[in-house]
Amino acid sequence: MQSRLSLNPFRPQFWRSPLRGPWLASILSAALLPLLAVCAVTGFVSHWAYDPDLGNNAVFGGPGPGNGFDLYGLDWPTSPAWLYAATQGLHVITGVAAIPILLAKLWTVVPKLFEAPPVRSVAHGLERLSLVFLVGGTLFVMSTGVINIQLWYPFGFGFVSGHYYGAIVMVAALLLHLGLKLPVLRDALRRDGISGRLREDLAHTLPEPDLPGRHTSAPSAAAAPTLTRRALLGGVAVASTGLGAMVAGQVVGGPFADLALLAPRGRGRGAGPNDFPVNKTFASVGISRDQTGDDWRLLLHHGDRFVGRMSRDELLALPQTTAELPIACVEGWSTTQSWTGVRLSELARLIGVEPGGEMEARSMQPAGGFRRATLNPGQVADPHSLLALSVNGAPLSLDHGYPARIIAPAVPGVHCTKWVGKLVFS
Amino acid sequence: MPRFRAVYGAGPLHLLAVAACLAVVAYALWTELTLIGRPERWLIWFGGGIVAHDFLLLPLYSLLGLIAAAALAPAARRTRVGVAALNHFRFPALLAGLLLLVWYPLIAGPAGRTFMRATGLTKDVYLDRWLLLTAALFGLSALVFVCRLPRLRRRERRMRSAL
Repeated sequence: MQSRLSLNPFRPQFWRSPLRGPWLASILSAALLPLLAVCAVTGFVSHWAYDPDLGNNAVFGGPGPGNGFDLYGLDWPTSPAWLYAATQGLHVITGVAAIPILLAKLWTVVPKLFEAPPVRSVAHGLERLSLVFLVGGTLFVMSTGVINIQLWYPFGFGFVSGHYYGAIVMVAALLLHLGLKLPVLRDALRRDGISGRLREDLAHTLPEPDLPGRHTSAPSAAAAPTLTRRALLGGVAVASTGLGAMVAGQVVGGPFADLALLAPRGRGRGAGPNDFPVNKTFASVGISRDQTGDDWRLLLHHGDRFVGRMSRDELLALPQTTAELPIACVEGWSTTQSWTGVRLSELARLIGVEPGGEMEARSMQPAGGFRRATLNPGQVADPHSLLALSVNGAPLSLDHGYPARIIAPAVPGVHCTKWVGKLVFS
Repeated sequence: MPRFRAVYGAGPLHLLAVAACLAVVAYALWTELTLIGRPERWLIWFGGGIVAHDFLLLPLYSLLGLIAAAALAPAARRTRVGVAALNHFRFPALLAGLLLLVWYPLIAGPAGRTFMRATGLTKDVYLDRWLLLTAALFGLSALVFVCRLPRLRRRERRMRSAL
């Protein structure tokens, strides 16, 4: 046995683990696929939720052609109010929970990276090329996503378009891989079943036999086992569930946020009415305190036409509406609070705008992304869409957008413009 | 058709599927790389992920695993207790490493200022939390190992006497 050891990964004797093989790869794939599917779908749904065809909403490429597969044509709905919290929460939970399974899967099939001869036919060569895009694309979206939710931006390119097109590369390669490898998965699971292999103890943890007519990652010169497949898969399941729960804590919030020990939003901020997370502090946006003082006026426009200005007191004198609504961040955390303010539809009525139009809210921020956002007609008309002045019975804090901010059901967090200076109805 | 198969190495449907996949990939790459100012950065991140995983991360943890195995359960005189000790070391080590890998930007990343500007919080708690979690994982694993030890020893003796 010892004499057959090799230090050359291109020789089959180099790969010694008895656990690798098509059954293990198939089980891991079967666990990974639903997570990746939910993650991809909710990711593209998030692109839709930003309504990139409206106003200046497009983060990249502008409205219309050039903005990826923007075929939706439908406005993002306002009901249920937790819709975006749910889809984006799922996006981040499934993406993070997929990481341990992905790593285990790559560990299982890594001998195939060094298979010899490297290319057996044109078909085999093209398939291996597509694997560059599958592995590269998956690692790319996972790493950029995980780094982005921790508010670190070392990329040197815009995250949004980079992540979006990286995901398209991954999905295209994944669909091909699925089509080509589904027969292997079927054969491996049909041959071994599932529960049988999970019951094997250490003495019975033998290398998998090859599948007839297929090149697999099963070892030709296996070492003695030190681990059962059950223990390996159990460890992966614990890791995946644990990481998923950490992120889920940020989505569900409340006491569950304490689960998010290492996630950025798992920290209490006190018990005051304004003590919930922010994603842009007042100090960071370059608005002076004077701009938010008694001289602040909300400017109201109807298209290009200026139609009026209102002070905070005048807004407070209008009928006030209270709504329990989540702020749901693209980074996958959300927080539901009780907001009070003036209905956007009420403001539109006040200045004589016909219902059914869009509205752009502009922040007083002098620079930076997302300082204006256009809401679609359904969002403007929704009775729970507010220009909020208070939260949980207290005036908004500066960090939460004082003097006034937008809050509307199911709208992505960054479109709930803070420090509003101007509303443009159309 | 057999001629096509002989030249290409698979059926025509295979070629069609591969071509469709590569067309979509080419579309996405072209759109992204012409959209952004520094396309080489995107390519570095894309290729860098493969290199970092396949040629750094995987060899690194495999090597550490081999060292741990040589220390705790050497193949020449492997015992049940040794194998169990190896696994009770491997599991918390891998989990702690995974936590560090995923949450590296918070635990040790240099992005303290952007984090502060966004959340209004400092991120100095995360290194402590990771260290505590790591200690808890190793502690829990050691506890379970100690509880299993008498049974493992009994089984070991029984097997030896059966030989």
